[in-house]
Amino acid sequence: MKRRTLLKASLQLGVTGMLFPGIAISAYPTKAFLAKQIPDALREAYGTTDIGESGKIEIEAPHIASDANMVPVRIKSGFENTESISLVVTGNESPFTAYFKLYEAQSFVSTRIRMASTSDLLVIVKADGVLHTNKRPVRVGRNGCGES
Amino acid sequence: MARSLKIRAHEIDGQVIVKSVINHPMETGKRKVKKTGKKIPSHFIKEVIVSRNRRIVMEAFWGKSISRNPFLSFQIPGRKGDTITISWLDNRGNTDTANAKVR
Repeated sequence: MKRRTLLKASLQLGVTGMLFPGIAISAYPTKAFLAKQIPDALREAYGTTDIGESGKIEIEAPHIASDANMVPVRIKSGFENTESISLVVTGNESPFTAYFKLYEAQSFVSTRIRMASTSDLLVIVKADGVLHTNKRPVRVGRNGCGES
Repeated sequence: MARSLKIRAHEIDGQVIVKSVINHPMETGKRKVKKTGKKIPSHFIKEVIVSRNRRIVMEAFWGKSISRNPFLSFQIPGRKGDTITISWLDNRGNTDTANAKVR
């Protein structure tokens, strides 16, 4: 029902009024976000854990995060026809952090995340139906001063 | 409406760079009130929908690991004068929408 509220709100502004037919709004992957283990989260989100690594995915993040509650992350996919980008923070209790579904020729997203401890950022990109992954370590200082 | 959203969009060579900030507490449900030890219930944005000229270009699903007052930036094809609309929905059913013209 909540979903309906949002749709209604956007309809009032005519947002979804001219949606094109090929696009169906997808559902929130609740199970992936609730999963405590990374393989479980990946299985829920993508149906597989067998994902090849690729250097074509660029992940920009600080080597040492000065504020663990606001770690800027920039993700650039080098693939054409990138369909979705998702971000997994391996050290967090619920590792699955964000899932971006892209409908046009897009390859870049950026946001800020929380990190519980020094760990890897894992990015999964789906392009032309094929999954690719890459990761990047980020150190988190104990009191935000960069030591660990 | 739309007090929670700030959107800036500008075009460079056919690519629109959008930067936005949403004012939202993004409570994880883990934080406690120091005095009473009571947990603050979770309150976070689950879904963000972005459209350009009334067509959806991106859907973002978020978990609790997104920072407070979430920042979202992305790049889409487009040109000056396009309308970028961003809507969000949180786990309590609150929602907000804002528009911005591409400059």
